[in-house]
Amino acid sequence: MDIGKIDQIIDKHDGEASSLIQILLDIQSENHWLPKEALTRVGEKLEVPMSRIQHITTFYKHFSLSPKGKHEVHVCVGTACHVRGAERILDTVQEVTGVGAGETDPDLNFSVETVSCLGCCALGPVIVVDGEIHGNVEQAETAAVLTELKQAETDEVMQQCACE
Amino acid sequence: MVNLTIDGKEVKVGKTATIYEAAKEAGVHIPVLCYAKKLLPYGACRICLVEVEQMKGRLIPSCTTPATEGMVVTTMSDEIRKVRKTVLEFLLVNHVIECPVCDKGGECDLQDLTYEYEVISNRFEGEKFDLPKDEINPLIERNMNRCVLCGKCARVCDEVVGYGSYSFINRGFETKIATAFDRGLNCEFCGQCVSMCPVGAILPRPFKFKARPWQLKEVNSVCGYCGNGCTVTLGTKDNEVQTIRFNDKTGVNDGNLCIRGRFGASYVNSDKRLTSPLIRKNGELVEASWEEALETVATGLRDAGSSTGILSGARLTNEELFLVKGLAKAVGTGNLDHSGGECYKGVTQGLQETLGLQASTATFPQVENAKAILAIRTDFYETHPVFGMVVNQAVKRNDAQLTVIGDKQGKLTRMPHARTLQHKPGLEVNILNAMCRFLLDEGLAKIDGLQGVEELKVALADYSVDAVAAAAGVDAAAIKQTARELATVENAAILLAYGLPYTANSRELGLAAANLSLLTGIAGRAGSGLYLCGEKSNSQGAIDLQILPAAGALGASGMLKAASEGKLKALYVAAEDMLVSYPDKSLVEKALEKTSFVVVQDIFLSETARKADVVLPAASFAEKSGTVTNAERRIQRLNPGIKSPGQAKSDFAIFQALLSALGATAPADEAAAFAELSAATSGYEMVSLDMVGDQGYVWGSDNLAPEMRNLVAVAGGKAIEAKYQLVVGSSLYHSGTTSLHAKGPMAVVAEPYIEFGREDAAELKVVDGDLVKIKAAGGVISAKAKVDRRLPKGVLFAPYHFGALDLNRIYHGQAAIAVEVSK
Repeated sequence: MDIGKIDQIIDKHDGEASSLIQILLDIQSENHWLPKEALTRVGEKLEVPMSRIQHITTFYKHFSLSPKGKHEVHVCVGTACHVRGAERILDTVQEVTGVGAGETDPDLNFSVETVSCLGCCALGPVIVVDGEIHGNVEQAETAAVLTELKQAETDEVMQQCACE
Repeated sequence: MVNLTIDGKEVKVGKTATIYEAAKEAGVHIPVLCYAKKLLPYGACRICLVEVEQMKGRLIPSCTTPATEGMVVTTMSDEIRKVRKTVLEFLLVNHVIECPVCDKGGECDLQDLTYEYEVISNRFEGEKFDLPKDEINPLIERNMNRCVLCGKCARVCDEVVGYGSYSFINRGFETKIATAFDRGLNCEFCGQCVSMCPVGAILPRPFKFKARPWQLKEVNSVCGYCGNGCTVTLGTKDNEVQTIRFNDKTGVNDGNLCIRGRFGASYVNSDKRLTSPLIRKNGELVEASWEEALETVATGLRDAGSSTGILSGARLTNEELFLVKGLAKAVGTGNLDHSGGECYKGVTQGLQETLGLQASTATFPQVENAKAILAIRTDFYETHPVFGMVVNQAVKRNDAQLTVIGDKQGKLTRMPHARTLQHKPGLEVNILNAMCRFLLDEGLAKIDGLQGVEELKVALADYSVDAVAAAAGVDAAAIKQTARELATVENAAILLAYGLPYTANSRELGLAAANLSLLTGIAGRAGSGLYLCGEKSNSQGAIDLQILPAAGALGASGMLKAASEGKLKALYVAAEDMLVSYPDKSLVEKALEKTSFVVVQDIFLSETARKADVVLPAASFAEKSGTVTNAERRIQRLNPGIKSPGQAKSDFAIFQALLSALGATAPADEAAAFAELSAATSGYEMVSLDMVGDQGYVWGSDNLAPEMRNLVAVAGGKAIEAKYQLVVGSSLYHSGTTSLHAKGPMAVVAEPYIEFGREDAAELKVVDGDLVKIKAAGGVISAKAKVDRRLPKGVLFAPYHFGALDLNRIYHGQAAIAVEVSK
């Protein structure tokens, strides 16, 4: 991630050590994960020990210290979704994206996570794709949503290759 | 006050006390793992659970619950015992049982509690931790498999030291204490975490497999390094100091120590110690008997008479310094001094001319309650680390506003909300002057009873805040804000450390700081203080005893100059390695060469000792009794823990023998010497040895009232014009030259280095470890480069401790040295 971008985020919060979590959240949402260089920069600018940053980033599940895909897919496997076939949905996700639960593909296109409950059991089974909730999904719908994203990524790559 | 009942005992405690503290006061024992007196309550371990009648239905953690009026507390019952035992069972699920080889065995809180609560079997089963050990550094070993997650190491490192090496990483069962990115420890190595760990998870490596705790004899003494005067409890066995034991009951430091105190005492066991007197015969130093050596010295000094120069180190005890004075008198010379470039002049002249004092006006603990703190030079943390920890606590716990006037960044400038007035080297006085001028202009100055106000106003005409700010490269608003705070808050402190690498503008800095302390009302006000802190363990004692040139006689630099011109017949150097630590090595060399009779009294064959005609082997701090006075005027006792090696004698015994060889009388022992010196020393008149107890005795009381309030105009410095300027100073890990013989400090900083800021390093294409050459008037020095983010563009830094660097070839006492850099 560009150091200039990180500095911008830090400046947005006036470089206040008390805004540490907010700054980390902003970097996470911008970059999908927290690279070491970014954390070092934050530590230096805020005069916060690296150990404290590590403490926060390992405590909250929201933060990721390893690279995440461009598209984040969360599949609810809570009790309600489970009995309504979450397992099958998860299989479909893996089939389409090629990424299993807790994994990210080498091209950094998709990251798949399971979650235990999203608090909308009536909509189960539920998946969240890039922050957008898809309720009462079936395998076909899941496949359609993800295939569209995947196609977009492939097109982009093809376009780039063509340009070069 | 709050009244409560604990186990049937009526207790009266302060409003802020917790149940645990109240119980402690009442003499009721409650077991704890995560509680420490100096840390904020945490409540992690749940061992200290008690019953409170008013809070029935659950057990209450006594270490975090405030004591309230009428509380009825029970600290032991069947229920409590059961619950505590369960807590221990939980802890023992993952904890590896390695007690037979664990160095903590015998003083491990977990071991003791397991025994006390008879946890014979465990109802729970689980995986034992199998985490890798951190054995990368030679000082602190971390074995997280033994950790009970009390968090004391992380808390002390953050709350007291202000470094923040550790944190809890991960969550749930996987929680562990780790460093950032789980790397090996790379910190100040003060070992505060070692002292706090209740189990064997963090241990001092140098002490591994040396002794069981119960085999050690514990002796309380005072650290021999800096002017902070921390209590060090020597753990001795087989006539060696095996380790430094944790002790938060004695002295000024609350159990806090820096790397030097905790890991730096090993030099006393060094096999390089001098064990026999040496006399130069046919150009070689050869072993000789004490009789011969003393006779030679006595004859030499007698012959030299008034052309003798005596230079003493500031690590000798008060009693020894008293005999040094006696020696000067017996020889008939007034040429007496205690430090190289007369760096202490800020105290002896600066404070004398303004306040009529020659000492700091307040005690260290008062700084914790200061609301505004001005540190002149960020190196204050490097010279007096444990006092620096008090500053950290003031900033972190009590929201003190810290301002640093410094030519570089450092530990202090990184403290929360610290304001840094980063100036061009050599302009500290200008900034202090600007603050004084601002206070006078704005009518904020407390000028009642001050003399010299009008003269100062006139003299400060050129020091308007804007002019100084522009010249020094500092923010004008920050200067104003700092001055305003110092003058308006209830308690404030001004800190300035002096020492051999800080000889430049010493008197001027003392004057300017004293002026500011007068105008702000800090000088003499209870709770506030002006701290001018000496570098060495007894710098203040040396000033109190007036180890200074007699009227019209020569001081250190005067003596060296005279000696270099062949005008001195004898030089007596006690506990100083002038060739390494004094400014201007060529002058010292010449002085030693041209003086026909040189005596060096030291514990090592130092560079200076190698040039001597007679070398007398002395004793280290761990081998002597006597008193030393720290930088806050606290007189404390040294107690011998071991015997001196070979024929080495304490400096006291050497001076005693020498005095009788010269036909003069000497006090029979240290106690007699103290009685004599206290009668003869201003401020010590009313002090007797009985008064010097566990906490020492602060002469002149906690707040020393100024004898006079006299403002003295002082001219500021001028920045030098050079692309690269080298500033000289102290490194955190070393103190003087003695620490170069100590394994701990040498394990971290073993070599001299030249420090570069990142910008300069990038421009010069210098990376860590590159060999660089520094050329300046006086010669060329070369050392490995260290790149850090402390230094602004154009400023380099070099520590002064290392003889190998030859830094004093180019350092002659300047505030900054114009240098050329090449690879």
